[in-house]
Amino acid sequence: MSPRDWKADEDLLRLFQTIGRASLLCDIQDSHSGNMAVKVRNAAGVEEMAITATGSQKGDLDAGQICFLSAGGTDYGYYKASSETDIHQRVLALPGVRASMHAHTKDLTIVTLDDAPKPSPVPDFVPVDPLGRAYLGDHVHVDWFAVPSGSAEMADLIPRRLAGHPATIIQNHGTFARARTLGEAFFLLGVADASGRVVRQAQKLGVDVGALRGRIASDPAAHFPRLPGPYEIEDDGLCDFPEETELLAEFRKAGARIFESRLSPFHTGTMSVRGVRDILYAPKASLPREIGGPLRRLPMASAPSDSAELAVHKAIYAETDFQTVMHVWLPEAEAHSRFRYPGEEGESDKIVPLDAEGGFLYLVIPVLPAEAGEEEIIRNLFDYKIAVVRGGGVWAAGTQSLSEVLHHPSSLREICLYRLGAFERGLDLRKMEPKKAARW
Amino acid sequence: MSDPSFGIHGKILEIDLSAGYVRVRPLDPSLTADYLGGRGLATRLFYEAVDPASDPLGAENVVVLAPSPLIGTSAPTAARGHMVFKSPLTGFLGTSNSGGGWAWSFKATGYDALVVKGRASSPVWIDITPEKVDVLPAGRMWGKDIHALTDELTTGFEPAARPRVLGIGPAGENLVRFAAVANDRNRVYGRCGPGAVWGAKNLKAVRAAGRMKTRVHDKERYQSGYEQAMHLIRQAPVTKRLLREMGTAGLVELINVIGMLPGRNFQDCTHRDEDLEAVSGETIAKTILERAAGCYLCPIGCQRHTRVGGKGEQAEAGEGPEYETVVLMGPVCDIYDLEAITRANYRANELGLDTISFGSTVACAMELAERGLIPPAELAGLELRFGRAAVLERLAVETAFRRGAGALLADGSFRLAERYGRPDLSMSVKRLEIPAYDPRASFTQALGYMTSPSGACHLRGGYAVSLAFFGGWKEIPRFSLLQSPIAIRNMQNHGILQDSLGVCRFTGYAFGSEPWSRMLAGATGLDFSVARLEEISNRVAALERLFNLEAGAGKLDDALPPRFAETPIIVAGEERAVSVEIQERMRRDYYEVRGWDAEGRPRPDLLGRLRIAGRRP
Ligand code: SF4
Repeated sequence: MSPRDWKADEDLLRLFQTIGRASLLCDIQDSHSGNMAVKVRNAAGVEEMAITATGSQKGDLDAGQICFLSAGGTDYGYYKASSETDIHQRVLALPGVRASMHAHTKDLTIVTLDDAPKPSPVPDFVPVDPLGRAYLGDHVHVDWFAVPSGSAEMADLIPRRLAGHPATIIQNHGTFARARTLGEAFFLLGVADASGRVVRQAQKLGVDVGALRGRIASDPAAHFPRLPGPYEIEDDGLCDFPEETELLAEFRKAGARIFESRLSPFHTGTMSVRGVRDILYAPKASLPREIGGPLRRLPMASAPSDSAELAVHKAIYAETDFQTVMHVWLPEAEAHSRFRYPGEEGESDKIVPLDAEGGFLYLVIPVLPAEAGEEEIIRNLFDYKIAVVRGGGVWAAGTQSLSEVLHHPSSLREICLYRLGAFERGLDLRKMEPKKAARW
Repeated sequence: MSDPSFGIHGKILEIDLSAGYVRVRPLDPSLTADYLGGRGLATRLFYEAVDPASDPLGAENVVVLAPSPLIGTSAPTAARGHMVFKSPLTGFLGTSNSGGGWAWSFKATGYDALVVKGRASSPVWIDITPEKVDVLPAGRMWGKDIHALTDELTTGFEPAARPRVLGIGPAGENLVRFAAVANDRNRVYGRCGPGAVWGAKNLKAVRAAGRMKTRVHDKERYQSGYEQAMHLIRQAPVTKRLLREMGTAGLVELINVIGMLPGRNFQDCTHRDEDLEAVSGETIAKTILERAAGCYLCPIGCQRHTRVGGKGEQAEAGEGPEYETVVLMGPVCDIYDLEAITRANYRANELGLDTISFGSTVACAMELAERGLIPPAELAGLELRFGRAAVLERLAVETAFRRGAGALLADGSFRLAERYGRPDLSMSVKRLEIPAYDPRASFTQALGYMTSPSGACHLRGGYAVSLAFFGGWKEIPRFSLLQSPIAIRNMQNHGILQDSLGVCRFTGYAFGSEPWSRMLAGATGLDFSVARLEEISNRVAALERLFNLEAGAGKLDDALPPRFAETPIIVAGEERAVSVEIQERMRRDYYEVRGWDAEGRPRPDLLGRLRIAGRRP
């Protein structure tokens, strides 16, 4: 046991606190579940591990609930630290890994449950959504453990799983992710849970997910022609337009709403406001109130370095008078884009609101094929202000404000939930939809 | 009687008062596709017919009035007409819009536009029915106020067959540069002085007695837009409640809350609460309101039918005051006397004066007088200073007849202030007086006034305050230099669309272009997608700009009076002004957003894309 000052420094404490609170907000933890660990360098320049204390409330961490362990051994903190410390310690020992996090990703956990006699092998989880494919790969391991919490078996297998994959699933328990930063680990867990939500909702909507997985496996590029780029860990604190104080506040409000209303997982999606020669652009639109993301001022002219999403923002501005654009990865919309009406051929090319509010805002919301190009997206934004691209997220445009453009995916989420609820109750959606919607 | 083909008759009625001819010419279908109707079509027909160098009060000026393809359907508020002319107040584009039933009735006679050229040798009026068009002597009507004129031309008809009258009062006859043209007695084409143009043409009135119905091509498509529009109108607080219960004057206290309500010729925006309460929409509703009503086909109903003076001899009834009237004739003149404002408003309606320009010109005169710049002898015995409510009604009458101190006011605030060596004391842009929203409290509104094609008009320049306070999810920052140019361009474009559809600006509180697109496409059977409508708005904006450039406007005309740069007001605890540098930056960015060059000239590639052939390089 080595003497140790228990005070975590302020930056580290804030990091754990904000991610802890954010993970509760997006519902991937219960009051005390999960754990977070990072590698830090102490005052003497020696690397050690900081990890949340066992049984701590991740939404209300104080400095005494961050435990420090030297990377090579144990000290006093070991006895207070998470029961899964051994796992994290080994994960953090993987090359390039500086953060590790475990969360109760409920949607993903639910869709990987099975009722087979144990022990028996568990099938991998295969994402059917673009974010899952981009960041988790074409499969994620799911493992059953006799003691699925803090066991030696877990400490043995999980680091090995994470050596080849960014995340791995413990059946009946949740997900572990490893990353370069704690923010990235949280990002991966958010993506993983959203990926589970897409599958879960698609199943509820009667989609044959097995067949869908088969189709995707046979031609993944056709299903996801425009996957998002790698997760960037630099520049989260960057703001290129501090002088635009009112707009800055608008970005932060909209970003927080995207995150809290789960319109797009943490640090995914993009939003922009157009200027005259430049655009103000948030490449990580889903922003919890306490966690930043880069806010960029970029030239309006397209550049070879533009990401696929940024290129669409710029194309929309080049072709239209819209002032704001948003792109989110809304799980409800992705699941709905695979919906087939019972007894009808093919995936539906529109989402028809059943609720009064949705019905008056949008007669229908178009669902475009995965290969839809900028031109088709723009044409639909003119007429509907919002469009779902199967395997490509949700695009929305506004004539004036960020708040206006935010309203579109937010309404769409409700529209999808009402439809899902009605379908689950065995109601006939066709009968409930306005007749004229079939023509739009 | 021909059967109108789904919203468009394909006919333009052209009358030359000098040559004495009436002719009907076909409407090129491409003009409807490219300019729609209302403001767009009227601007296009005006542009091709007028010499931009013409004297606005000469025979060469041309007046074009156009309803829209939607008029005659059930589309909410779709009964408004638009008038385009060269303004005698600004010397640039005159463009003015009004509710009332005249545009509906005119369209129902079988025409898509009325073009009036030349000048009659003596006063005339025009009578239009589906069967014939007559130009008739108006000698005995000359001198009548608008109400008497309307009565004279509508008596003897069954209510169902009653024609609609559009005409001028004494202010127009006396060439007051901000004289209005009115229909349905109190619905006015107020801004830019169309009444003086009519007066100069010796045109007293145009009566229309149409009965044709507008057929709808695709009922289901039309109905989907209609139902959505009606739902949103009934849902949005401003359209379902505020405007009906309190009229536009319901804005008085709200605009004050956001620090935007001007006082004392825009010297500041500070008012005592009890003063403002005395002229607020709530007070109007509690004290002088007899009933609320709406323009033809309007489900919103912001009109105020009022009565002042109790039951005695001094009692009288009329319409108004609206928000702009309350503020321009009220706090801008440091007057908080509701009865005085209302009586002056009644006179302005009868005699045909634009209440915004009138109120602002009175305020300008008050400031000039207080500064000792107007010799008392020139005021014909009138004691003119801020806060003197007693002068309002008298000045309205004297201005309309160009007599007494009113003779000084009749050419508007700019010419008045210029005459006394202080043009900077005219609160106008392009010589058109600024409405009742102080530009220092919103950069977006400031830029709207600067770049409005008609001069400082909140309706043509972009009704930014509707976003600043009631925007709901479209609410935008008021002081964003980055967002203002695009926000105001988009607002102006939506205004062009509304004016070209013949619908009310207030529908914008409830919804944007999509329901209109469906109603219009459903009614006409033509492609009027939202993208197409956006293109039309950009085309009309470019054409309006071209006319102004040809009429001599330049970059320096797109600027606010110096007061707004030099004298800050306090908004939410912060000093706010629109400095020259801010104006320059916003103007430069706005030009760029519009596709205009650094001097504000639409670039050739823009004109090519929009298929506009200008007269001059
Ligand atoms: S809202 Fe008022 S101005 Fe507009 S059409 Fe209705 S009554 Fe007329």
